Parts: sequence; C-alpha cells; structure tokens
Amino acid sequence: MRQATFWKEGILLIGLLVVLFIANISLGSVHIPFSRLLSGLLTEQGTYSDILWQFRIPKALTCLLAGSALATAGLLMQTLFRNPMAGPDVLGLTSGASLLVALVLLIGQLNPNLGAAVFESPWSIALAASIGGALVFVLIISIATYVKENTSLLIIGLMISAATSSIVSVLQFTSQADDLQTFMIWTLGSVGGTGWRELGVLSIVVLIGSAISYGSIKSLNSWLLGENYARSLHVNMGRSRFWIVVATGLLTGAVTAFCGPIAFVGLAVPHLVRLIIPVTNHKILIPAVMAGGASLLLLCDMLAQIPGSTQVLPLNAVTSLIGAPVVIWMVIKSKRISV
Amino acid sequence: MSEPKTIALHTTNLVVGYTKDKKDFPLFEELNLSLHSGELVCFMGSNGIGKTTLIKTLAGLQKPLQGSFKFPKDQSVAVVLTDRITSSLMTVYDLVTYGRYPYLNWDISLSPKDYEIIDNAINQVHVESLVSKRLYELSDGQLQMAMLAKALAQNTPILFLDEPTAHLDLNNRVEIMNILRSLSRTSGKTILIATHELDLALQTADRIWLATPDRKILQGIPEDLVLDGTFDEVFQFKGFDLKTGKVSHEAYRKVTIQLEGNGYEYLWTKNAFERNGYEVKPAALIKVSVIQNGNKLIWTILKDNEEKSFYTLAELLESLESRILKV
Repeated sequence: MRQATFWKEGILLIGLLVVLFIANISLGSVHIPFSRLLSGLLTEQGTYSDILWQFRIPKALTCLLAGSALATAGLLMQTLFRNPMAGPDVLGLTSGASLLVALVLLIGQLNPNLGAAVFESPWSIALAASIGGALVFVLIISIATYVKENTSLLIIGLMISAATSSIVSVLQFTSQADDLQTFMIWTLGSVGGTGWRELGVLSIVVLIGSAISYGSIKSLNSWLLGENYARSLHVNMGRSRFWIVVATGLLTGAVTAFCGPIAFVGLAVPHLVRLIIPVTNHKILIPAVMAGGASLLLLCDMLAQIPGSTQVLPLNAVTSLIGAPVVIWMVIKSKRISV
Repeated sequence: MSEPKTIALHTTNLVVGYTKDKKDFPLFEELNLSLHSGELVCFMGSNGIGKTTLIKTLAGLQKPLQGSFKFPKDQSVAVVLTDRITSSLMTVYDLVTYGRYPYLNWDISLSPKDYEIIDNAINQVHVESLVSKRLYELSDGQLQMAMLAKALAQNTPILFLDEPTAHLDLNNRVEIMNILRSLSRTSGKTILIATHELDLALQTADRIWLATPDRKILQGIPEDLVLDGTFDEVFQFKGFDLKTGKVSHEAYRKVTIQLEGNGYEYLWTKNAFERNGYEVKPAALIKVSVIQNGNKLIWTILKDNEEKSFYTLAELLESLESRILKV
C-alpha cells in the first residue's frame, strides 16, 4: 500500500481549467463564434483579434493568476493556523490596501489637479494598494518574529484588519457620496482593468509567491502535525513560518493591488478542492488548489459578464453568490471539513 | 544480560522547567539520569509534576534551564506526544510517512528504501488494515498505534512516549505495552514512557524513574521500589495496598467467613466477600466452599449445620445478606 495518487482528478481539473479558459475568452458583450476564435487568436488584425488580444485574453489571464494566487494564499493560511476559517485576508493585508486606496481616492477628489493625475494613471491605485498591503505586511512580519505562537498571530492579524477597516468606515462616513463611488467600485473587485504591462508585474509576483509556496511543501505538511511534532521532525518552523507569511503577502498583495479585494476564492477553494481530492499532502494540494482557484474565478467572471450585453455584475457579488451555495451543499454532503 | 550496558542517554545536572516573565520555574533539579541501550523505562509521577516537560526537553522540543544531556548522535529520538492531530483528513499512511521527513529533501520524494521502512513500521504495530483510513475514522487506540508507527518510521535508537495509553481500554493498553516491550527486546530500542499506569509499568518496565515531590527523580527496578516502600511514600496511596496489588476494604459487617477452595475460584470468591464487607479468616462459624463440578462452579454455604448450594456468587451474597438481616 502506497500513497494514493489522484491522476484522474488532476487531469479532470486541468481539463476543466482549459475548457473554462476557452469559454471565458469566447463569451462577452460581443459574441465571437467558436469557429472564428482560432483565426482571431492567430491573426493580428480585425475586430475579433483586437477584442481577444486587447481585452479578453488579459482578463482571462488575470483570472488565472488571481484565482490561483488567492487560493494558494488561502491554503497557506489554513495550514499555518490549522484553522479551516482562515483565508488570504486573515493577516489584514487587504484591509491595509483598502485603507490606502480609500485615502488616495479621497485626497484625489478633494484636490482636482492631483485627482486628474490619480485617475489617468492605472498604476496609482495599484501602487496605493501595494503600499497599504506592504505596510501591514511589514507590521505582521515584525510581529511574527516577536510573537512565537500562531493563534496569537491570527488574532493580531484579525485585529489589524478590524482596525484598518474601521478607519475606512470613518473615511466613508465623513466623505461625500460621489467621492465614494470610485472606492466602492474598487472594493467590488475587478479583473478587467489589467493590461499587458500590469499583467507582467502581476505574473512575476504571483510566480515568486507560488515558487516560495511550492518550495515550502515539506514544512507546510509538517505544520499539519502541530508545532511540537513538526520540530521533532527537525523542520525549522520559525524560518518556515516567515516564508509562508512572505508568500501569502506577495500573492494576496499583488492580486489586491491590481484587482481589488476579491472575496471568497481564498477561503472556499481549498475546501472545494479537498472535497474532490481528499489529501493533506501539499505536494498535490498546491497545484490542485491553483487549478481550482483559476477555474472558479474564470467561471465567476463569465457569469459576471452577462453574455451579449454590456452590463457587468460586480465580481465579488458573483464569487460569493455562486460559491457560497456550492460550498454549503458540499459541506452538508460530506459532513466533514478540516484543514 | 551479560553484555555490557551502553549508555543511550545521559543527563548532567539537568534542570528542566518553564520560563515565565523572564523568571525560571524549575520542575526538576540536578538530574543525573541515564538510559541504557535496549531498556524500557517507565517514568512515573503524579499529575502536573513535569513528566511532559522533561520528555519534551530531552526530545529537544524545549530548552533546559540549566545543565545538559547527551545522546550518542544527533537525530536519535522519536516522540509520541499527547498533542492531537487536527488534520483529520490525513490518511494513516501519510501520517507514518512523516517519520521519514528528517531524512528527506524539500520536495519530500520517498526512495524505495523509505517505502520499505514505512511498510516495516506499519507491520510492527499491526496497522496494515488501517493504512488508507483517515484519522477521523480511527478509534483512540488505533490512532495511538498510527502515531507509534510514525515514530518507528523515524528509525531512531531512542523512543520517548508521553502517556501512550491514556484514554485507552485495557486491551489496547496491554497491546501497546506489549509492542513496546518487544521493540526494546528485539530491535534494541531504548524506550522511555511517561505513564500513570502503575500496574502495567510494574509488570513491563526494566526500570522505573519515579518523580518525587522534592523535584528529584528516583531510579530503580520496579520490585525494589515496591518493597522498600518508595512507591507508597511518593504516591501516598489512599486505600490501595501496592504489595498485594489490592484496594483495601473495611470489614464493616463484622461477620467472618471461613473460605475453602483453590486457585482463581478461591481468589475471586474472597474478593467478592471482602468487597461486600465480610472478613475472610481461616476459621469461622460460617463456612463457604467453592468446588468445580464439570465446567460449573458450585458454592456451598454451611452454617448451624444447615447446608445450601448456589451456582452464582450473586445468589450466594444475596442469601448471606438476608440471613444476616434476619439475625
């Protein structure tokens, strides 16, 4: 008897990902018939080619990167804290990003000259979100080296998150209704705002974050046994915790910077994947969760974009609306959820 | 054994305990203990005295306050702790695989040799039928066996176990102790078990470490510690006679019985009388004899030249009681 392998489920998941990617780029406000999809992809001229290469493929790739990044970050946090309720945001990064984005947008609107500069550059919000996320990240890393216990770190993360969220609430309360509009739209999450240049940055950061995660499979598995057993196996837990926090920070921070705070994916995907592929070995879990996260976000993006219409639903509404019932159904069916 | 004993672990003036608010709180002081290769030592002491702390310190999971201890080589200890594994989806096989982690690279690829060691560990604790079960499907006893298999897969000369038989039924307790006993005999492992199970410890341990309230640890073979009264002194037994291995009963009925019989039948009948407050003496007015007739036991009671027989002890006791009440 050897370790169970999951080739069938793995191939199924990859197949699902490919199908969803193709479906995602063929659906949208302009209908592209499947027969024209390939020629649109291969030629450099024509409306279809423009739509595909300028808009749909960057958007689908963003779904791919953001979905896999958030799902991986969620898995890392659930494993580190051995808590099935943990998600990529438990360290407070998203709230930190939100705070700075809210500040930049409000200052921009109070000062029209600055405001024009802010709204003309697609990088300004991303930059604000990155700085906000990074500040909280540095704070968490320094606390993590001081607080040796994971549960304490989890609570501190949640508290930082609550504190920054309340500052955002105060800002919202004191500002004018139309100042809020841009911020509100940002908080709903979007995968449509990333061009090729942003995509380049996003993919590099996500690649680094994923590489660190996959490089930590041994210590991630060890965390599942708890700190004492892990140390009895001569795994350096202090160093491993540092790298897990770094990877989570990079993955969550980059996605939040370019796509806004996308909810639900990071929390739900690890559970959904474990229900299909019931393993605890991160060597299998990380690739599976990446494929699962990418698939879910591609699906949600398709559903947000009502086919044939220009109307787009907010991404966060769709991820939770689709995801929550699915998770509830699967949890009831399996009656068992664990990290 | 005639071969010279080799030292597997030696402590020098070791002080263990915990640190709180930068102050040291020692639980054991000036420990100069040793473990010999291939021996099974039971570490006993009352709750909260610091057994777990010492085990964790010796396993390198926490730092000693002072002093030192030495193993022949590094990575020579595997532990079974009382920590629960929260990851209940894990399979038994995956759990045992963890035993190989100290020897694996970052990508945790198992070599054929690793698979062989894992299979061996699984065979040694007889959990072959459980390998693909998930941890939430296991009973407490099975889970403990799986944890033991994980520790064995680490292939270390020394094994520490913290309360391995807690929460287990008698059968599982005996099985665990038997497996550990045979491991120390056949594969020469040095095994240290922190336990409360006095009876099992006395019957299986080569030596006992006994934690005393004055932060010392006494060492000795079980029988010596029983006979010289060390156990009585340390545990301050309340109504338990260690030398006979029985709970002491008060003969509150003030009735003596003369009992005749042999072997187990005699012992258990005596137990029934004493438990119910009768005193058993070599000569008394009430005479009870127990004899085996075929595969049935018959108890006969003789009092005032009146004889009566019973097929169960319950009936006998009931009859005795009604007679006493009549008088």
